[in-house]
Formats: sequence, C-alpha cells, structure tokens
Amino acid sequence: MRETHGSVILHLVVRGFMVPLIVVFAIYVLIHGESSPGGGFQGGAILASAVILARLAHGGAQGERRLPTGALVWVASIGLGIYTGAGLLGMLFGGNFLDYSVIPLQWFNDFAAEDRTNRAMGIFIIEIGVFLGVAAVLVILYDYLTGAPEPADADPSPEGRDE
Amino acid sequence: MRVLTLASLAAVFALLVWASFDLPDRADPEAPGNARLSGDFVELTEHEIHIPNIVSAILADFRGYDTLGETFVVFTAALAVILTLHRNPRRKREEDDDEGGA
Repeated sequence: MRETHGSVILHLVVRGFMVPLIVVFAIYVLIHGESSPGGGFQGGAILASAVILARLAHGGAQGERRLPTGALVWVASIGLGIYTGAGLLGMLFGGNFLDYSVIPLQWFNDFAAEDRTNRAMGIFIIEIGVFLGVAAVLVILYDYLTGAPEPADADPSPEGRDE
Repeated sequence: MRVLTLASLAAVFALLVWASFDLPDRADPEAPGNARLSGDFVELTEHEIHIPNIVSAILADFRGYDTLGETFVVFTAALAVILTLHRNPRRKREEDDDEGGA
C-alpha cells in the first residue's frame, strides 16, 4: 500500500475505475469467445493490459510489485496445466488426447439449466487455460523487458540458490 | 551489381505474378483448398459443437493440438526472457566482492 506517485487522481482513476473495468472486459471477452470474436488469447492480452496499466500508474520500477514473477510463473503454469489436463482427461475417459466429447461434463447442464455440448464446454475450459497463460506471460515480458528490478525478498524461486 | 539485383528481383516478381494467374479464386468453393475440410468445419461446428463461433471451434477443438503448442511457445518465451534477463542480487554481490578482492 505504499504510495510512490503522489497523484491521488491518477490512483483513483486507474485503480478505482480503469483496472476493474478492463478486468471485467477481459473476462467478458473470454466468456463470449464461443459466440463472438474473442477467446483466451484476446482476453488474456486484455487482462495483462490491466495489470500493466496498474504497474505504470504505480511506478513499477520503484514501487512494490503486488504480483511477483514467481506468482506469475505459477499462474502461467496453472493455465498450461488446465489445458494439458483437459487433454489428458479425454485420454482418461477413453478418447483421444484433447477429445472433449468423452469427458463427462453433462452435470453442468443440469446444474446451470443449459444445453451445451461436451465439446463446447471443453473449448471453454481450455480457453480459461490459454487466458491465464497468456495474461501471466505478457506481464512477465513487460516486467523483464522494462528492466524493473526484482525485489530482493520477493523471489521464492529456487534458481538463486545454486552456489 | 545493383542492376543485377534489380533484374533478378524483377524476374522473380514476374515469375510469381505469372504463377498467380493459375491460382483459383480465393472465394471459390470448388478450389482444392476449400473443397474438403472447410465445409466439414462449418457443418461439424453447427451439428456437433453447437457454438456460433466457427473460429473458436477450429482453434480450440479441431486444431486443439496446435493451440496447445502455441500456448507452450508463449510460455517458453516468458521462461527464456526470465532466464536471460534475471538478475540475481546475491550473485551480483559476489561478483562485486570478487572484483574488490582482485
């Protein structure tokens, strides 16, 4: 909660208005990927733009990072895990890799009173994985390519202990 | 030398333009590129997946393997950037100590 820039207006507009709006729009683009232009890649890019905007307004080079690189790598890995896991579930239930039609997902139709095919729901699941992966990767690229220094105490990755 | 370069470029350009006259019309449904799979994608999206967005269906279902690879490529890019640009504060300090000792 450290304030690195003094401007109250900047923080109010960015944190109170822009970032929540962009995050909601990113989720909208993700969810509507099946019925309109959009999907995981596009939604992930929009979500990353929200985080990058917060970084810009917050003075990412000097200020603390709410989302350190370790957490972002975790998010990207979880996204890839969702995608690969959905593919492996297809194999587990007797189909091919990435064959969503055999995954038993029809309970969701009963729950939500929808009428969606297994493959449509499988598409949505892997879009979530792509969404998380792309968003985290874009923020990582921004962090490193702008040269923002890593906080010394916020690096839980084991790669620094190789001496 | 420059004349030779321009002449060879012009020759290749003329060759490509000449070859492009043999290409089928881009929107021709009878063209070999459109004859087999494209219609299947449109019909299968309608009948088996029931979503309006054919692009999403192709991207995430029919060519799901391709999209999986793309996502891994993006993730690999992030890992490569981290590995090449990561600055380890502890190792930096050791290098400074080495320079100070020498």
